[in-house]
Amino acid sequence: MRAGSCGSLLRWLAKRSYGCAQQRDTVFAVSSGHGKCGVAVIRTSGPASATALRRLTGRDELPRPRAVALRRIRDPGSAEPLDRGLVVWFPGPHSFTGEDCAELHVHGGPAVVSGVLQALGRLPGLRPAEPGEFTKRAFQNGKLDLTEAEGLGDLIHAETEAQRRQALRQMEGELGQLYQRWSQELTQALAYIEAFIDFSEDDNVEEDVLTRVDTAVAQLDRELRGHLQDGRRGERLRGGVHVVIAGPPNAGKSSLLNLLCQRPAAIVSPVPGTTRDVVETTLNVGGYPVVLSDTAGLRDARDPVEQEGVSRARDRLQQADLVLAVLDAAELAPQPGRLAGALQAVLPPSPPPRPCLLVLNKADLLAEQSRGALQQACAGDTLPPACLLSCMTREGTATLLRLLGGQLQHICGDPLVGSPSLTQTRHRLHLTSCLDALGRYHRGRAGDLVLAAEELRLARRHLGRITGQVGAEDILDIVFRDFCIGKKAVFKGTRSTTGLGWSLLGAPGEEPSLPQYRAAQSIGVTVGRPRVQPLGPSGKAEGPAREAQVHGMYMGMSGGGEGHLCSRVWTRLVNPVLG
Amino acid sequence: MSCNPSFGGIGKGHLMREVDALDGLCARLCDRSGVHYKMLNRRKGPAVWGLRAQVDRKLYKENMQKEILNTPFLTVHEGSVEDLLLKEPESEHPGKCQVSGVLLGDGSKVHAGSVILTTGTFLRGMVLIGLEKHPAGRLGDQSSTGLAQTLEKLGFAVGRLKTGTPPRLAKDTIDFSILARQWADSHPVPFSFLSETVWIKPEDQLSCYLTYTNPKVEKIIHDNLYLNNHVKETTKGPRYCPSLESKVLRFPNRIHQLWLEPEGLDSNIIYPQGMSMTLPPELQEQVITCIQGLEKAKMVQPGYGVQYDFLDPRQLTASLESRLVQRLFFAGQINGTTGYEEAAAQGIIAGINACLRVCGKPPFTISRTEGYIGVLIDDLTTLGTSEPYRMFTSRVEFRAFLRPDNADSRLTPRGFEETGCVSRQRYERTSQIKAAIEEGVAVLKSLQLPPSKWSSLIPEIVISSSRSSPVRAFDILQYPEVNMELLARIFPESLGKLAEWRELAERLKIEVVYKLCTSNQQQEMEEVRRDEALRLPENLDYFTINASLSQEMREKLDSNRPQTIGAVSRIPGITPAAILNLLRFVKTNRQRTGGIKVPFRTGRSLPERNTDVLGKSEFQSSNLSRAF
Repeated sequence: MRAGSCGSLLRWLAKRSYGCAQQRDTVFAVSSGHGKCGVAVIRTSGPASATALRRLTGRDELPRPRAVALRRIRDPGSAEPLDRGLVVWFPGPHSFTGEDCAELHVHGGPAVVSGVLQALGRLPGLRPAEPGEFTKRAFQNGKLDLTEAEGLGDLIHAETEAQRRQALRQMEGELGQLYQRWSQELTQALAYIEAFIDFSEDDNVEEDVLTRVDTAVAQLDRELRGHLQDGRRGERLRGGVHVVIAGPPNAGKSSLLNLLCQRPAAIVSPVPGTTRDVVETTLNVGGYPVVLSDTAGLRDARDPVEQEGVSRARDRLQQADLVLAVLDAAELAPQPGRLAGALQAVLPPSPPPRPCLLVLNKADLLAEQSRGALQQACAGDTLPPACLLSCMTREGTATLLRLLGGQLQHICGDPLVGSPSLTQTRHRLHLTSCLDALGRYHRGRAGDLVLAAEELRLARRHLGRITGQVGAEDILDIVFRDFCIGKKAVFKGTRSTTGLGWSLLGAPGEEPSLPQYRAAQSIGVTVGRPRVQPLGPSGKAEGPAREAQVHGMYMGMSGGGEGHLCSRVWTRLVNPVLG
Repeated sequence: MSCNPSFGGIGKGHLMREVDALDGLCARLCDRSGVHYKMLNRRKGPAVWGLRAQVDRKLYKENMQKEILNTPFLTVHEGSVEDLLLKEPESEHPGKCQVSGVLLGDGSKVHAGSVILTTGTFLRGMVLIGLEKHPAGRLGDQSSTGLAQTLEKLGFAVGRLKTGTPPRLAKDTIDFSILARQWADSHPVPFSFLSETVWIKPEDQLSCYLTYTNPKVEKIIHDNLYLNNHVKETTKGPRYCPSLESKVLRFPNRIHQLWLEPEGLDSNIIYPQGMSMTLPPELQEQVITCIQGLEKAKMVQPGYGVQYDFLDPRQLTASLESRLVQRLFFAGQINGTTGYEEAAAQGIIAGINACLRVCGKPPFTISRTEGYIGVLIDDLTTLGTSEPYRMFTSRVEFRAFLRPDNADSRLTPRGFEETGCVSRQRYERTSQIKAAIEEGVAVLKSLQLPPSKWSSLIPEIVISSSRSSPVRAFDILQYPEVNMELLARIFPESLGKLAEWRELAERLKIEVVYKLCTSNQQQEMEEVRRDEALRLPENLDYFTINASLSQEMREKLDSNRPQTIGAVSRIPGITPAAILNLLRFVKTNRQRTGGIKVPFRTGRSLPERNTDVLGKSEFQSSNLSRAF
């Protein structure tokens, strides 16, 4: 390039118009913030956007371009309705990215959002966007002028640091270390196979390096598989943890339900057997979505209606993720030894053993002495965690909430794994893709070594996408990933076109940390499924609906790292192998 | 061929195929001069097959000279180049001056529109044997110091590398009967797309022999290290074909392979590959005679080391033109590479571009997504090198696509259409087979049978029983057990003709095997191409531009001189903010002035010769000089 070098930059920018967008795959992401907010905007960009919109809305015709339409949104696979929301169709080049774009404005609950994301992820030609990819595409298609915002570079620089720290914080956990280790092992395996391809014939690179690669890959395969099958944590979070209140009649189960959900959801009376059917309500405890069921008191009922109620109670217990066993403290106080037997009668007989909390209600009726005796009886290892509670005086509510929060955290696992964010969807998709590639490695190994090596490279790339290893090689990707901070300025216009008054508050650079995120969840009221009621740490509702004050920052899982992999593998790993 | 009597290898064979696709000479000549053809990596997949041949040194030289001397419009003039003729630079290009020819040792001048320097190991070349050293580019040939001084004065950043060559042995003094024999391939595969077969009958090929080092060798080397200047010095040598001494020092208590390779059909010289050493000659003889099979071997010429100057290749554009001196091109070891094939790859690009430059046409460059040549030149001009650079398949991102079998369809049409370096005959042949492959793929995709039918026709393959929809012949060909011949027996009328054309049948098979992988990589390749298309002005003065860049970034950018954003992204340590600021600067600057008015680093006047004015350029102040 000579005289017109700057000119060719411009020409290049101009050339990146709509035309070249056709060969690309289509990406999707939540473009609004994380956490519970009234509305979440899920955006797709790329040639398959129209198909995605058709499949999700179940209609052949697209909405009028750039006009808001109300549609029922379904999972195209199962036809299961996911939500009813607004959709907007932006045919290219008149869109933010210059490509065909679609926006789905759905209710902001994690279940809806992750349901829609997973449905999109299953469509052919669609994949989750890399951080900042929308902005990158907009830039590549000449839709974004870098020079418009004065001082953007400095801003980006400052925020890049913040984002880095954020990503680092997030990946410092055990999970991050695990992914790092896998990534390193994969890189090592790849280096060995490369050494074998390039050197084995003339130099003394022995055949057994391949056996070592095979072993390493098989081991990784096992570990990844185990990791992906690790309980139903994700699903629990999507659907809410099923907590079932059970116990003998008149122990105060319905009172407990009303106490927890802060409204008279269930009828309470002094008459044993008042509750016949299962009463269900959803609420949010310490950031975890909970589906709470109150059940009929367990006894040998004669009344056929009550019999049916007891039978339903037992069914519900079978499906419980956590049991709140409510017993009458006043009744048990004289004989604390009966505690274990009483509890046994409540818990579902068939395996697996359920996590359980023992709630000794009616503590207000206890004398100081019997209170001590009960507490002593509960102190042993044989009984589940227990607390004394009075639904009447609300004494012991804080303790119960603390215990409940602890159990929920245990059930949902590492909050990092469990966080119902896009990150989670990305993790799962990339891990699955990684596993698929490892599977193909084993198949390719028998035939073509180049193809086998290629699968390892691909697997490593998917892991790299999670761990966010930033190689100097992927600088451009990183630029545009970090650039997504610029969304605040950039997305303004797009938002207003939707005509929706939703807002994402919060200053740039203040991405939520995980505790903040969960705190935000616990104050946010959403209308998604499961319907979640606000419940502060005090056990009190936090007032009327308000939008979560979470800034719409991508929880920085950074881009690939494979770009110039070969050379890097070369310098870092092959050389030491050969000396 | 001044070192090993062989061409090709893993990665190197790829380069030769690409040179051939652009109508370079070495592949065709090897098909007419080889004495032992062998395909390496046979078991590892066609993408990494390494074509390799032992070549008759004398025949190769004869054939090469015949070819060169018979090239129309080519004048050959032998003489040593002592200096460059320089004149005022062209204002629209970067560079402080422009080359207009060369000054020869005898004082005569040769004027030229562009000049290519391929100095090999001759720039301040120093031959070392034991403690002795004397200036020479090769044993018996003078080194070039005048030219080295000129280049240094012009401000080129210069580094030093070393290499070595083994002693040569007399064939009739070696006992081959007790050594493992390596036969040549019974069906030699030619290097060139134009060669139907190689010149030699398969059964007439010579063999190579394998022997090993032993603890006695190790002991001699250890005991005499004090007599070995070359090995002790810190100059960077190749890690990839290291001297016997380095191998022994780096991997003690191991035995190392030594290949005994013939130098030619009627040559009595054997080249012991893997035995490069720089011990004093009498100790080399001691080492030789304690090796199995070589007990009575006579040393014809001792091994020796060479140390030589190279110029930091980051001072070049992707067309291998110097940024400092206009119309001056470099190729080969002067750019820090090792190997004939790497040199040939640069030679053809430098040659094509030197010519295009004279004709005032845009440069011809190859992208990383198009060929090993592109990877080689991009690595050199973007990252530089600190040891002799050798090609490997693992350096190549898109290895499954950049294969030896399809080098012609990747490069020949471009060479023909953009530069005219390719003959019409070759172009037509490539177009023909390219079209035939495309047609073949289409036919294979159109032929379908139910899985059960396939299973009964080809019992060797296992088709997933869950599939009920028809399976294409295209998918069936991906099975290792299946080839075109087999398919042609099933579909004689559709595939019979395709299978008869043997080259086509083989290429179709390879194409199909890699199809899935390469189509998956298409998007990635597109990304790389986009980044490479975003070009930066090559004459930007990073130290003075008014962009928000740290001094560290400025130094990195200045020493690497990236030409595209793709290249910037491969420079270690460049931050995202820096790249963005760079983009912003380039763009605003363009808008404000309507043209490029960025500060250039060019000296506008013809520099005075023989003074230090040029010597102290920005290169000295950058961290580049520290790298050497």
